[in-house]
Amino acid sequence: MNAAAWTCLALPLASALAITACGTSLSRRAAGYVSTATAFGSFGAALAAFALMLGKTPGERAQATTSWTWLSAGRYSFGLTLLTDQLSVLMMLIVAGVGSLIVAYSIGYMDGEDEERRYFAYMSLFLFSMLLLVQGGNLLLLLAGWGMVGLSSYLLIGFHQERPAAVAAAKKAFVMNAFGDATMALALFLLVQQTGRLDYGGVFAAAPHGGAVANLVALGLLGGAVAKSAQIPLHTWLPDAMEGPTPVSALIHAATMVTAGVYLIARTHPLFENAYVVEDLAAGLGAATLLAAGLIALVQVDIKRVIAYSTMSQIGYMFVGAAGGAYPSGMFHLMTHAFFKALLFLAAGIAIHALAGEQDLRRMTGLGRTMPHTSRAFLVGCLALVGIPPFAGFFSKDAILAAVLDRGAFGWVLFACGLAGTFLTGLYTFRLYFVVFGRTGAARPHLHGTREGPVSMVSTVTVLAALSAAGGFLQLAPVWTPLTTWLTPAAEPFAEASSWEEALASAAAVALGAAGIYAAYAAYVARTLRIPAAWPALERKLYWDELYDVLFYRPADLAARALRRFFEQPVVAGSIGEVGRGFRLGAGEVSRVQSGLVRAYVLALAGGLAVLAVVFLSTR
Amino acid sequence: MANVLVWAVWCGAAFACIASALAVVSFSNPFYSALALIGNLASLAVLYLLLGGEFVAAGQVLVYGGAVMVMFLFVIAYLGDRSQEAPWAGGPSWQAVGTVLAAAAILAEVIVALALTTGGRLTHEAHVGRSFGSPGQIGRLFLTDHLLAFEVTSIVLLVAAAGGVVLGAHARALEDDARP
Amino acid sequence: MHGPDVGWYLVLAALLFVTGALGVLVRRSPLIILLSVEIMLNGANLALISFARRLGHADGQVFAIAVMAVAASEVVVGLGLIVAMGRRNVELDVDKLRTLRG
Repeated sequence: MNAAAWTCLALPLASALAITACGTSLSRRAAGYVSTATAFGSFGAALAAFALMLGKTPGERAQATTSWTWLSAGRYSFGLTLLTDQLSVLMMLIVAGVGSLIVAYSIGYMDGEDEERRYFAYMSLFLFSMLLLVQGGNLLLLLAGWGMVGLSSYLLIGFHQERPAAVAAAKKAFVMNAFGDATMALALFLLVQQTGRLDYGGVFAAAPHGGAVANLVALGLLGGAVAKSAQIPLHTWLPDAMEGPTPVSALIHAATMVTAGVYLIARTHPLFENAYVVEDLAAGLGAATLLAAGLIALVQVDIKRVIAYSTMSQIGYMFVGAAGGAYPSGMFHLMTHAFFKALLFLAAGIAIHALAGEQDLRRMTGLGRTMPHTSRAFLVGCLALVGIPPFAGFFSKDAILAAVLDRGAFGWVLFACGLAGTFLTGLYTFRLYFVVFGRTGAARPHLHGTREGPVSMVSTVTVLAALSAAGGFLQLAPVWTPLTTWLTPAAEPFAEASSWEEALASAAAVALGAAGIYAAYAAYVARTLRIPAAWPALERKLYWDELYDVLFYRPADLAARALRRFFEQPVVAGSIGEVGRGFRLGAGEVSRVQSGLVRAYVLALAGGLAVLAVVFLSTR
Repeated sequence: MANVLVWAVWCGAAFACIASALAVVSFSNPFYSALALIGNLASLAVLYLLLGGEFVAAGQVLVYGGAVMVMFLFVIAYLGDRSQEAPWAGGPSWQAVGTVLAAAAILAEVIVALALTTGGRLTHEAHVGRSFGSPGQIGRLFLTDHLLAFEVTSIVLLVAAAGGVVLGAHARALEDDARP
Repeated sequence: MHGPDVGWYLVLAALLFVTGALGVLVRRSPLIILLSVEIMLNGANLALISFARRLGHADGQVFAIAVMAVAASEVVVGLGLIVAMGRRNVELDVDKLRTLRG
């Protein structure tokens, strides 16, 4: 099993290194094939690890394997440890599985791109980083994977280097993630100081329960999770990150990287359980984000940005679930969300590809008639997203909503937010579907013969559609819970719904979702509902960017200008200039001795002779 | 009796020496300065004779007086009025003060040095034979002990001659250019 | 026969040297400066010959003859320069010749 774990981790790294090393001697297509093959190989290794795990008793399933001691200083020692347990195997399967499908899709999507090799090298690097994050056996490796995932995200968002918007978006994403990295590192410092170790078992056992330190540690970890998962207040980078190619948006900003925050909370849940205040804060942030993102998605006109805000909203659900104590439910929703969100992005990618890069909704209308297969796949994704049975989202989302009912008054608030979010989800999702994939419209897609897109793209979308349709049957809480049973040794939930809570939540959610769909239908198809003008606040994304501009950018800019004017120019540059001027002046003064007057020179000689004679005489 | 004669000759020659030296540096007409220098050289020759350097005295008169000074007079005559263009003295006042101080200092130091180093030993003259300072002795010294100096000096003379030719040739070329 | 001691000659040589130095330092005509240099050289010669007499070696006289030869060479070059300056109508004033200033 350890061999399978190491193989799963090593294959994408080998691919990234190989593509980089071969350079232009590898054809562009071949780079894509190498990357895809290693991604599928990684998935195979994850499957093997899973299969081997099934054969063991639940108590024996977790296995840590250390290759060598990475960092050893004094009494602290951290190794390159991989932990293969139920939680990490689940994440490995999701990351490698969905990741390999998306890399395969990229072969078609990025075909003809000049820098295709660089793209596939970065994708492999990302897969390696994400697997390192989920397989890491101590917090230090998790942080390493965390940072590398941020790096891959930066590289892939800014893939089209010649576009200033893409470069700016990449910087924004990286800076915000760096803030999260910093808070996480501070939390790790506190942990090391308190417990002297960072491996999961040890640090969880030795961490303090309650008190300021526990709160600070949890807060630091939450900062990292919020930054990586684009929750309020560190969410403004995600919509801008849509500047990257569509498969990148699908893999990194929908299926895997942004869900790393949820994984973090589930993995380090003992630390969060030591700090209930922070957990409530996390749930609250998740609820706020799911509402705000849902509202903003209603007015977006870029197809990818609608799906991005949808992602933000769904991760809000996952945060509510994970911070609410229902770790298996949160992870289940993570899995189903990976399926249908990747499906939505990739299907949208087929449409964008067929329309030669057009992403504005208002110009992508009527594709239902000309691209039926894509339209059907997109519909499956939308239904799964809204949570209509029997599609995947129904099973997972409702479990979260039900679980929070156990938390008293705050739980009811979260529940209400969740239900409101369901209505909004139905509304914005089907606004998108009816506008783009409706039967009336003017867009003229360019098709590949009879197929709607290249083989690689269409086939992977079909697979994801099947998963979105059927993937939900993995768990129907609380009746049929194999996933919870599987995950409990690693992440024991402390809040699970009872049957009637589950039924209530499901009924309410489905009803509201259907209401949202009907409202969208009435507004955009039947035209019986008047669409009000978009609120300016929503169009400006609730003014978060402006707020950060005033809070951080302007003061920093002013401070930099002031420093330059009052310190750097006069003191630093000035001192250098003054040193030069001083030398020139000195040289000028000294050069006045050379007057050109012969008699002065002779006088100097005579004077020197006089002095020397005295010296000579006095030393005898 | 002979002593008094020697002293008298010495005083006369010394006086002439000093006076002519002062005349050289103070006349404004360089022609008169050159003539005064000839007088200086002659008085020095007398002093050399008193010191037993007959060959040197003769050489002084012949070479210095006969060749060098003649050259000087030729050039002064050639330059004519132009030789008197420069003012007598001038320059910043600190220069004048410095000059006087330096000169006085050097004089004082030389005398002090002499006094300190020699003490009273200057009164004892070495006993010299009749051939002291004779051409034969000088020649023998030049060709044995001081052969290097002899050869080097001859090279210096050669260099000076070449320099003179070069300077003269340049001047002549310039004159050719200037002529219409 | 006795005359003045060598010391008297040496004082005289010092006076000659200083007089020549004063001439070099004070006068502005290059011709006069050359003449003053000659006076300085003669002062040195006198000292050399005096010491030769005092010590009884003729080496001082040999040195004095070498000095005379060098003085002659130097006068040749110096006068050649002055003649060249005169031909080019350069003003014969040492204080005016300042192109070598730093």
